[in-house]
Amino acid sequence: MIPDPVTYAASALSGPLLLVLAAFACLLLPLFFRQLRGTQGIMALGAVLIAIIFLRRAPSAELSLFSGALLLSPLSAYLWAFTLGVLTLVILLSVSRPAAPEESQGEFYFLLFMAAIGLMVLVAAGDLFTAFIALELLSLPVYALAGIRRSKPGLEAAYKYFMLGAFGSGMTVMGIAILNALYPALTFAALKVGPAQPLALAGFLLVISGFAFKTALVPFHMWVPDAYEGAPTQVSAFMAAAVKTGGVIVLWRLFSLFDGGPIREIFWWLAVITAVSANLMALAQKGLKRLLAYSSVAHAGYIAVAFFGGRQGFEAVLYYLPVYAMATIGAFSVALLLEKDEKGPLIEDLAGLAKSRPWLAGAMSAFMFSLAGVPPLAGFFAKFYAFAGAVNSGYTSLVIIAILMSAVSIYYYLKVTVVMYMKPAANGHPAEPPGIMEAVIFLLAAGVLLAGVFSRPLLILAAEASLWF
Amino acid sequence: MEFITNPLSLLIILPAASGLALLAVPPGKEGALKGLALAAALLTFLVSLKLYAGFDPAQAAMQFQLDKPWLPSFGINYFLGIDGISLLMIMLTALLMPVAVLASFSYIKESRRAYYATLMFLEASMIGVFAALDLFVFYMFWEGMLIPMYFLIGIWGGPRRIYAALKFFIYTMAGSVLMLVAILWVVSAQHAATGAWTFSLPALYGGALTAQAQLWLFAAFALAFAVKVPLFPFHTWLPDAHVEAPTAGSVLLAGVLLKMGVYGYLRLAVPLFPDAARVFAPWLAGLGVVGIIYGSLVAWSQRDMKKMVAYSSVAHLGTVMLGIMAFEPAAVAGAVLQMVNHGLSTGALFLLVGVLYERRHTRMIDDYGGLAKVMPGFAAVFMIVTLSSVGMPGLNGFIGEALVLFGAFRVYPWLAGAAVAGVILSAVYMLGMYQQVIFGPLRHTENKVLPDLSAREWLYLAPILVFIVLIGVWPNPFLKRAMPAVNSYIALSRQQPAPTVPEVKFSLGGKEQE
Repeated sequence: MIPDPVTYAASALSGPLLLVLAAFACLLLPLFFRQLRGTQGIMALGAVLIAIIFLRRAPSAELSLFSGALLLSPLSAYLWAFTLGVLTLVILLSVSRPAAPEESQGEFYFLLFMAAIGLMVLVAAGDLFTAFIALELLSLPVYALAGIRRSKPGLEAAYKYFMLGAFGSGMTVMGIAILNALYPALTFAALKVGPAQPLALAGFLLVISGFAFKTALVPFHMWVPDAYEGAPTQVSAFMAAAVKTGGVIVLWRLFSLFDGGPIREIFWWLAVITAVSANLMALAQKGLKRLLAYSSVAHAGYIAVAFFGGRQGFEAVLYYLPVYAMATIGAFSVALLLEKDEKGPLIEDLAGLAKSRPWLAGAMSAFMFSLAGVPPLAGFFAKFYAFAGAVNSGYTSLVIIAILMSAVSIYYYLKVTVVMYMKPAANGHPAEPPGIMEAVIFLLAAGVLLAGVFSRPLLILAAEASLWF
Repeated sequence: MEFITNPLSLLIILPAASGLALLAVPPGKEGALKGLALAAALLTFLVSLKLYAGFDPAQAAMQFQLDKPWLPSFGINYFLGIDGISLLMIMLTALLMPVAVLASFSYIKESRRAYYATLMFLEASMIGVFAALDLFVFYMFWEGMLIPMYFLIGIWGGPRRIYAALKFFIYTMAGSVLMLVAILWVVSAQHAATGAWTFSLPALYGGALTAQAQLWLFAAFALAFAVKVPLFPFHTWLPDAHVEAPTAGSVLLAGVLLKMGVYGYLRLAVPLFPDAARVFAPWLAGLGVVGIIYGSLVAWSQRDMKKMVAYSSVAHLGTVMLGIMAFEPAAVAGAVLQMVNHGLSTGALFLLVGVLYERRHTRMIDDYGGLAKVMPGFAAVFMIVTLSSVGMPGLNGFIGEALVLFGAFRVYPWLAGAAVAGVILSAVYMLGMYQQVIFGPLRHTENKVLPDLSAREWLYLAPILVFIVLIGVWPNPFLKRAMPAVNSYIALSRQQPAPTVPEVKFSLGGKEQE
């Protein structure tokens, strides 16, 4: 039951187009209308909510636009909805506690929208070149966002992120150039049937490294801790949830081009090295944002394990992403709520939180247990699905390594709860009247509490989306 | 609707819902909080009585079944059902919970709301473990149980509570994660053989697995359960957790949590992988006996009463392991009964130590002596419980221990012989402690004014005493209900492997085809 393609394309594309419009409105309108200054956040929120209202369940068909550059399908619809959700949360956080100085508010929302549009194009990209342009559209605004405060830690984060990111982009372009010379077309479909030759392998390796940068797989993760720590926490949350998703989807597309061979082996090793080293490095962290940064690297490793599960694994990835995003954004929100300087609170600054703000501590524990993958929280279900596919495809040893490392991760997630519940308060957390941020946190906590036990609706959507790959 | 009308499901939902309700009690309403917590625990116990009344002792099949699709794409069902063994465990849990709540009234002074809610969540997950017939549901409750117990030890525990809580959580979790991989493996092997996804235990029993695969899978399950039992040498978390936990935490830890490990062998590890179980059984029984001797010797050398009781648990659970690994009706039945007995007597011992601790804030044996003069009621109760723990004829401990030893002697004569030594040792240290604490002169002036058991303390000790005596003189109703389950466990452990061999790939590299 495919509807009229023009109507479908128009309605599907209205979302990103609306965001473009809103981006420019946030940037330009306040310049001309003085009284609109300071309301950019509200405008942005309104725009994204309208985009969400117009979300429709995509028809079960794939529509290829712009000669295959953009593929509209339930998969893209699913990921676009996810992007809008993340965007809404980040905007809510930025409205309640501005990430950018007064005079840069417009730029902040402009850049945020541009990055979101970049992500939307990236996940729907039908060929490598579109994916690269989308990747740049996603990355460049985020570099700027990381340093939008123009403060020292922010600039350091932006600089490091930019330098390494540009390096990654350079590798991607190089790889695409090689592939372009070898294959008749750069669409993923054309790449799959192409000839296998050493030069193509080199091209793929370069492209994969570039996207592994965005996904933050070890050893391409070096920028993560500094960037997450120095960037405004709202931006860190966006990086952890959204930027990673873009990398994951493209990596999955590249991964599934191969039925075996060296690329799969490389992914195997990437997953193992990421899961092992990220968890070990996280053990020593003192800052909450750095801890979450390493945790996000570790989760990229678990997602890479899920790749090996075939279509079942991809379904798991699609479930994993929102569940992980909820817990991570939630944890970053708590960090934001408690932060006194830009680098965010240390873990020990959370001491006594259970006494002074028990509900907040409860929500934070839910995020931590979910990230650690303890039932009945959603994170457990996500890991379960991710690993189930891989075991079913015969990659038991990979899963054993990943699951043992996830047992190691328990230690640093528990450390946060230990500090909150079992250490006396060092400096009190004055109870503030609850605001938007608390609402976001409790919404997300409810999400990680319920999305596991009641994972059926989300799983059905994910399964449907995974068919259109 | 069936989620509420099915008593098993109700037994999980009721405590969980009461836990949430307790969190909503406004701060400051302490009386209401305690009343509500006790009412919830008692109500749960009443529901469990309904379970007992409706249970058909002649049937070997799972009763009170509830099977609802939960995550159909993975073949995961909310599948509950019990046999005699799970019935006894659920009854024990439901009985110990009101006791634990009552025992906490004066002991817990901080964040009471969260405390009672945590107890309720703990009860829901413990009952869930015993009621689950779906591997996924089982694992979820099994792991989910860690969160409330972790907070119970970590927030309301003793001075080294953080260390103990972390050790408990990480030890148990690390032991269990490989079981998750094994579960996934079993399910995918079953899928390869039959083409259907299922996590249902009865459907997976007798599955066609190669002997080699069974060994690995059994090892993964056995490790998870060995940590929980705890079998020597995986027991090191236990003394820390027991000593640091608040009294109610210790009671539930010893009374119920340790049983979950044994239950895991009975319900999962052995029936799922009978070939491997037969290979491992003598070793596990041997470790059980090592645990008896080692636990007893270490307990003997303790000066801290709580530590002594904790190590005595290692010894008692060693006896239980010896029983279930003998695959002999008397031994297994005795082990099941001994699981209940240990829950009652060790639970009571922790309660009694807690009674003393609340009065004197010390658990050292040397700080007491001559309590018989000031606390005669306490001395009497302590006597009964101590004798029950050492296996005095006429009380519950004797029946279980004797059955285990008689049964195990036919299978492992040497091990059973060594286990008898442990029984003697337990009498030595338990009676030794009793004598030093209760008899002799009143050496410490502070002890001269100790009040005897209060009405509330009598109230929560009485039901345990009743069952200690009842099982001692009339164990039949309990054994009768457990027997069909015991026989089917033994039958499952003896089944021969099916000849078909589905192959699930196992590799160390990323080379194979999808």
